[in-house]
Amino acid sequence: MTFGLTILPQGHSFRVKKGVLLIEALRDAGINLVSYCNHKGLCGKCFVEIIKGALAPAEAREKEFTTRKRLGKRYRLACLYRISGDLKIRIPEPALLPKMPVLKRGLRRAILPDPAVKKVVFASCPPNLAAPLSLSDEVRRQIPSLRQKVSPGILSEWAELEGQRPEEFTATVYENNEILDFEPGHTAEKNFGIAIDIGTTTLVAELVNLNTGETLDAVTGLNSQIHFGADVVSRITAVFEDPKKSGALRAAVLDSLNSMIEKLLGTQRIARRHVYEAVAAGNTAMNHLFLGLPVKTLALAPYHAVFSTLPPVPASEAGLAIHPRGKVYIAPNIKSFVGGDIAAGLIAIDLRHQQGNYLFIDLGTNGEIVLKKGRRFLATSTAAGPAFEGMNIRCGMLAVPGAIYKVEDRSGLRVRTIGNLPARGLCGTGLIDLVAIFLGQGTISPQGRIRNGAPKLPVWRGVELFQRDIREIQLAVAAVKTGIRLMLGRENLTVRDLDGIYVAGAFGNYLNIDNSRKLGLLPGLDKKKIRFVGNSALAGAKALLVSRKERARSEHLARTVRHVSLATDPSFQKTFIEALRFEAWK
Amino acid sequence: MTKDSFFRDMAKAIVDGDKDSAEALAKAALAQGLDLQEVINQGYIPGIQKVGELWEQGEYFLPELITSAECMKAAMAVLRPAMEQARLTSLSLGKVIIGTIEGDIHDIGKNLVASMLSANGFDVVDLGADVKLDRFIQAAREAQADFICLSALLTTTMLGQRRFIELLREHGLRERFKVLVGGAPVNHKWAESIGADGYAENAMAAVALAKSLRDKR
Repeated sequence: MTFGLTILPQGHSFRVKKGVLLIEALRDAGINLVSYCNHKGLCGKCFVEIIKGALAPAEAREKEFTTRKRLGKRYRLACLYRISGDLKIRIPEPALLPKMPVLKRGLRRAILPDPAVKKVVFASCPPNLAAPLSLSDEVRRQIPSLRQKVSPGILSEWAELEGQRPEEFTATVYENNEILDFEPGHTAEKNFGIAIDIGTTTLVAELVNLNTGETLDAVTGLNSQIHFGADVVSRITAVFEDPKKSGALRAAVLDSLNSMIEKLLGTQRIARRHVYEAVAAGNTAMNHLFLGLPVKTLALAPYHAVFSTLPPVPASEAGLAIHPRGKVYIAPNIKSFVGGDIAAGLIAIDLRHQQGNYLFIDLGTNGEIVLKKGRRFLATSTAAGPAFEGMNIRCGMLAVPGAIYKVEDRSGLRVRTIGNLPARGLCGTGLIDLVAIFLGQGTISPQGRIRNGAPKLPVWRGVELFQRDIREIQLAVAAVKTGIRLMLGRENLTVRDLDGIYVAGAFGNYLNIDNSRKLGLLPGLDKKKIRFVGNSALAGAKALLVSRKERARSEHLARTVRHVSLATDPSFQKTFIEALRFEAWK
Repeated sequence: MTKDSFFRDMAKAIVDGDKDSAEALAKAALAQGLDLQEVINQGYIPGIQKVGELWEQGEYFLPELITSAECMKAAMAVLRPAMEQARLTSLSLGKVIIGTIEGDIHDIGKNLVASMLSANGFDVVDLGADVKLDRFIQAAREAQADFICLSALLTTTMLGQRRFIELLREHGLRERFKVLVGGAPVNHKWAESIGADGYAENAMAAVALAKSLRDKR
């Protein structure tokens, strides 16, 4: 039985099934609402206004939210509302998933192209009765090292070409031992690959010329897995509770990626059959979900992965829309939640070959930290959490148009927003600036308390900072600070022993170093030694795509980086509690 | 010094997180032969309760809770030998078994709950983290516990809380213990749906909950 669902004021109408959750009905209709809790009514983000339709009394949790957010009586959480009749709703803007701006260019260094995919052109000698050579003989003459792994599919295409016998052929060879394709004529310059950053929230795909190592174009897209949960743990849980969801999660990310790839190829007028390899860098959970692998082991202590390094997977099996016989290579996972995105990032900045001691911090939800001490590498995940993404903050939001990303104190607070749009809320870097300013003024104490016990502070036209928000920031900063302290402590290093700190992640680029220092988020190292490297995962994915040497290096790195579990460190609690105080590193 | 000002100082020491004073005052109380029941209930406990209020108001945060709990622990340590001698076990509000559910290693929140329960007069046995369900049952039986508190930080390990209650039922032990659940992904709805006796959002709420459930028996 179906009913009519109308979205006001646009008037879009759909038929929806009885009994279906409103948030799912909207998703099926192509309208994506923010959901960070796997539709459990926990995050309070998917409120819609029921203009006309069934309105059962709100659940206790909903009432809590509506009171706090001062919403009208007709507001309900779309993830708790089941369709039971015709419905007219209005969706408030904050509930809609926005488009993301993201950093596409990471830190680049010069790498000599040496891709796994090579194209070889050869002239064919017409066979004659004295020497009736087959194409295969021809190829072996030209590429003596070829051990020739072929698939039956190729042989029949080959047979087609035999009949035509053009003067030139181009063979696409993978790792010198497998023929991926044959084409008539000279097509050697058409050798392309895709570097992918499989982010939890945002996907980035970069189209690369494998012969020259040159980037042609890049595109970003939302990771549709967001419907199953905003963070890695909710998605893992979704699969844990219902293993069948694994297929849906995989399909979600593949759908997103394949439309992005289609867009890239369309814009650049490149045929799918000329894209032979994709390298994907993501964190461990993302990699597992991408391949449809069980994530049960990541859900429970000791949180270990099913795979670290994998040989390249045939594209047709991986499900990516490149040449079906092409390959998909996953940047190797280090250990536990520290995944291929970090391994790729380390390759991008070439940390291995820098002399001295360094920290590499990825300031995202997982907050991975890598410490290089001499030749040793240690890695951990601090689970810094959602505060840096503006989550769990009353007026917090992702770093999208309308977000306050920078705050200054120039006889009063002055703010800057992304896209210069009217301020809708605060994103991570804006929050850091804000708290640092308030701290400097004495409006907030180092213990994180608002002076005079006020429950909130005005920021800018309706945007306010609440006492609870400050606590969330304290927790997030403390997590990273603790991670750094414990990592340094284990290796008997102090901040003074560091030769530099690399900060990666989209967040990293807008971050104000001085303010980060004031809160204790970053140590007091000389400013010149702190470098923002943007989307190092994507830059690393490209490096692995374009160079087999870098790929081998990443595999070696993944094997040798040691993993540190912070939660089981006996000094964790004490260090964490001390780190809650807002103060600069001494 | 009058008894009242003594008690006021004790409460203040807890609120201020002044371990040295807390200990010194406890020693002085012993030396003066004060009634231990009064010392605890009118001196120190009001202090930790005030800390709870300050947390509710947003004045105090985690560090202050921990410091005050440690002061309480220090004061109790001074008084304990005398308490045991006087067999003042009735001062205990109840026995609590607490731990983080198997598969989960996160324990700061759970540690705070344990500290606050202990500081407020409960007898707490902390089993640590990644505790197998059977171990909870075994420890609860051994200690003849009143409460079993299960903490879980991840939505995955939270499912163990449901399994635990089923397990208790299978053993015919459900009625014997009050089961309280907590952790970041946990909420009232979940606690109700799995048949737990209660849910508390933080350490102070846990204390209030345990006390209210105790009064119901």
